[in-house]
Amino acid sequence: MNVMTVVERDVSETRSKMDARGVQVWYGDKHALKDVDVAILDRTVTAFIGPSGCGKSTFLRCLNRMNDTVASARVMGKMTMDGQDIYDPRVDPVQLRAKVGMVFQKPNPFPKSIYDNVAYGPKIHGLARTKAELDEIVETALKKAALWNEVKDRLAAPGTGLSGGQQQRLCIARAIATSPEVLLMDEPCSALDPIATAQVEELIDELRAHFTVVIVTHSMQQAARVSQRTAFFHLGNLVEYGETGQIFTNPRDPRTEAYITGRIG
Amino acid sequence: MTQDTATTPTGPRADQHPLLSGSTSLRRRKAREWRLKVYGVAAIGLSLATLFVMIFTILRDGSQAFYQARLTFPLVVDAAIVDKEGARDPAAMAKVTTVGYQRLLAQAFLAHIETSGVPLGDVTEKEAGEMISRDAAGRLRKQVLSDPAIVGQTITVNAYATGRIDGYLKGRVTRASAERDSLVTPAQLDLADRLLQAGILSLGFNSGFLTDPDASDLRPESAGLGVAIIGSVYMMVLVAIFTVPVGVAASIYLEEFAPKNWLTDLIEVNISNLAAVPSIVFGILGLSIFINFMGLPQSSSLVGALVISLMTLPTIIIATRAAIRAVPPSIRDAALGIGASKMQIVFHHVLPLAMPGIMTGTILGLASALGETAPLLLIGMVAFVTTYPSGPLDGGIMDPATALPVQVYSWASRSDPAFIERSSGAIIVLLAFLLVMNVAAILLRRRFERRW
Amino acid sequence: MTQPHIISSFDRDLEAVQALLMRMGGLVESAILDAAEALEMRDEGLALKVRDGDKAIDALEQQIHSECARLLALRAPTASDLRIVLTVMRVAAALERCGDYAKNLAKRSLILAHMSPLGGTTGSVCRMAKTAVLRLKDSLDAFIGRDKVLAADIRDRDRDIDQMYNSLFRELLTHMLEDPRAISPAMHLHFIAKNIERVGDHATSVAEQVIFLVTGEVPEEERPKADATATTSRSTEE
Repeated sequence: MNVMTVVERDVSETRSKMDARGVQVWYGDKHALKDVDVAILDRTVTAFIGPSGCGKSTFLRCLNRMNDTVASARVMGKMTMDGQDIYDPRVDPVQLRAKVGMVFQKPNPFPKSIYDNVAYGPKIHGLARTKAELDEIVETALKKAALWNEVKDRLAAPGTGLSGGQQQRLCIARAIATSPEVLLMDEPCSALDPIATAQVEELIDELRAHFTVVIVTHSMQQAARVSQRTAFFHLGNLVEYGETGQIFTNPRDPRTEAYITGRIG
Repeated sequence: MTQDTATTPTGPRADQHPLLSGSTSLRRRKAREWRLKVYGVAAIGLSLATLFVMIFTILRDGSQAFYQARLTFPLVVDAAIVDKEGARDPAAMAKVTTVGYQRLLAQAFLAHIETSGVPLGDVTEKEAGEMISRDAAGRLRKQVLSDPAIVGQTITVNAYATGRIDGYLKGRVTRASAERDSLVTPAQLDLADRLLQAGILSLGFNSGFLTDPDASDLRPESAGLGVAIIGSVYMMVLVAIFTVPVGVAASIYLEEFAPKNWLTDLIEVNISNLAAVPSIVFGILGLSIFINFMGLPQSSSLVGALVISLMTLPTIIIATRAAIRAVPPSIRDAALGIGASKMQIVFHHVLPLAMPGIMTGTILGLASALGETAPLLLIGMVAFVTTYPSGPLDGGIMDPATALPVQVYSWASRSDPAFIERSSGAIIVLLAFLLVMNVAAILLRRRFERRW
Repeated sequence: MTQPHIISSFDRDLEAVQALLMRMGGLVESAILDAAEALEMRDEGLALKVRDGDKAIDALEQQIHSECARLLALRAPTASDLRIVLTVMRVAAALERCGDYAKNLAKRSLILAHMSPLGGTTGSVCRMAKTAVLRLKDSLDAFIGRDKVLAADIRDRDRDIDQMYNSLFRELLTHMLEDPRAISPAMHLHFIAKNIERVGDHATSVAEQVIFLVTGEVPEEERPKADATATTSRSTEE
């Protein structure tokens, strides 16, 4: 029905950007993820929710192979990005991480200037040949992160001197400066106040136009607000994955229902 | 039922105390807290008092080492004595020993006493001449040989008085002690009083203490720290050159790259153990490896530096690793998250952030190495060295040298009481060095931290 | 609330449900007017169109309902945002009822088309319908404009429809007393009039919702009423 378009919610893109098939993760003897199948849609915000230790962050960290740095972690199953296996031995995780950016729970700008923070990624990946090009990349990234107007007069000031919300947006700018295709966010607002949270959420909604965003969050409300698709993890299992409105108004699985209504933790 | 109990007004419960009067347990807790505070203040007070006493004693004894009694009188460089042939031939002039110059000095001194109208009193001419330090003759000889033009001219000599006269002016030697002393007579002390009044004898700042080489028991007044300071500086520079790259590299490898297995665990335990090994053991190690096995010259600053490097390395590695570990993992994650390689993470982020910690650890490690004595004794750096080592690029690091703490040790063990003040003076210099290094550590730390 | 939300999609969602409501309001208004016209003109085609058009209104109501549920679940609206959602839900329900009345009107006009007219009563019904629709439209305007003055005004104007209904009621009674054959069309017309009167009541309740939306309080005092049929009927029975 054409009236449905009044409410813009439906995911226009249905192409899968990243695909996980039968992913299992072990931390030593601990079975952290059990047989997870997820198709992350292109240019969509996908939220992972679930109680602490349910495996949602673990899964997120599989998507850019951050688990490689954990010696005891073993990842099994198939994970592809645009059809290419990201765990292929020929794939350099450094290269992968340039394409799959990450934003962390605590704002962690480098103790450098705002400019250097954003310029660091493009520099190490050789994305700019001249200073002017680099300037442009930095400006674009800061604009996309909705931070440009606030910092354009003090690019040389240290990034650590910004407020928490600005720092987190700076981290987002830093992540998108390498022009990734996918942005992973690991509880990006858990250290922010409500207003800064709202600003970052608004930013995430805008980023959807350019990137595929995957966000892990403790706040179900946040998942509800920013995402188009939601995956609920519980005890290492992917319990339910679907359209966000459906998950929050009419979940199919009783465990999802119990979690989002605050009956299990 | 429950409603009844809830609505019945009850007074304060028996085990509750009104707010204004404290309970006995609270008073006991307060008392315990107060006692703990008193213990702490007492401990700090005790250590401060000890420190104060130590610094006071050292300053009182040591400050005198920086002053020296001198005799000032004109002297005609008599060609008949210093250059009998009159040809100004350096080779011929060099044949004249210090004995000749000694006689020259004594004559000029006596003549000046006479013209100044100071009575000799009970002092014989020989005894008066002996008030001039034996060091003065050597200096005059050197001066003449280096500049033969002054032969025949009148120069003003500013010679050290002997250690006993010096001690008398500083209150170390009294007439009572002079009675029992074979090196000085009470009459000489009387003469010294008169010379002081006449302005011939004076007590002035002694820069030679910092620049002169060591001297024997015969002339304590001319013993200086020059060689020891040069030796210590050479050693510190060498230690820094040896340990910092090795220590930092080892720390980076162990912290960032090494796999965690039994081998690295073993290495870790051993590094900690090495830091606790007594320093004398390193001395023995250095003696057997560097001197006996590798044949490096004894008592050279190179060997000293090598031995102290071995000793300091564990300390620096431990400090550096702590500094690297203190870099928040979030920074590493951030760099990893935008695709930095391990190398880039280490060199772009971890090292710059750990730098203040590394600097401080290194400088403090060097500072403790500066005060190290025991291993240096074993490799012969306690030797009596009167010649300066050459410049560092001319192989000076292979020349015999001593170090400040060793100099303190060797002076403290000498018999002449004049060395007591010099020993304390050397401690002051050593402490000043340590202070400078610690201040440097603080400043460097500040400077690096102020960047952000 | 002139100031936008930091999360702009929230604004878009809120606007979307209100737009749906306005679309629904438009459909209901034209349904009632069309039905009244069909009654007056004895236009069976138009009446059929109105009858079938009710499905769209019901579907819109369903959609508004699920959108509001979504908004409540995903956005957790508070204060004025919450009142918007609550108001939209109640107004949508009222509009749905009005739509049903329009459908009922259309159905009855189909039957009445085959009966002889009762004097000028259909004209009165039509006038009444136009008045009711105007009030409904005003209420919806007040909703969109957040105009509590207009809403209070609509609330006070409830009397005129009631009076129109009263006079029509008497007229129909007269017809029925005069000629028993007129009872059937008169009953139909009476139900139609009653339904239109209810549309007026719904318009008033929409206005009350607008007052709640703007002030956060439901108006308490008794609504002015002029429906005297309850007493009239008793007096005729006597």
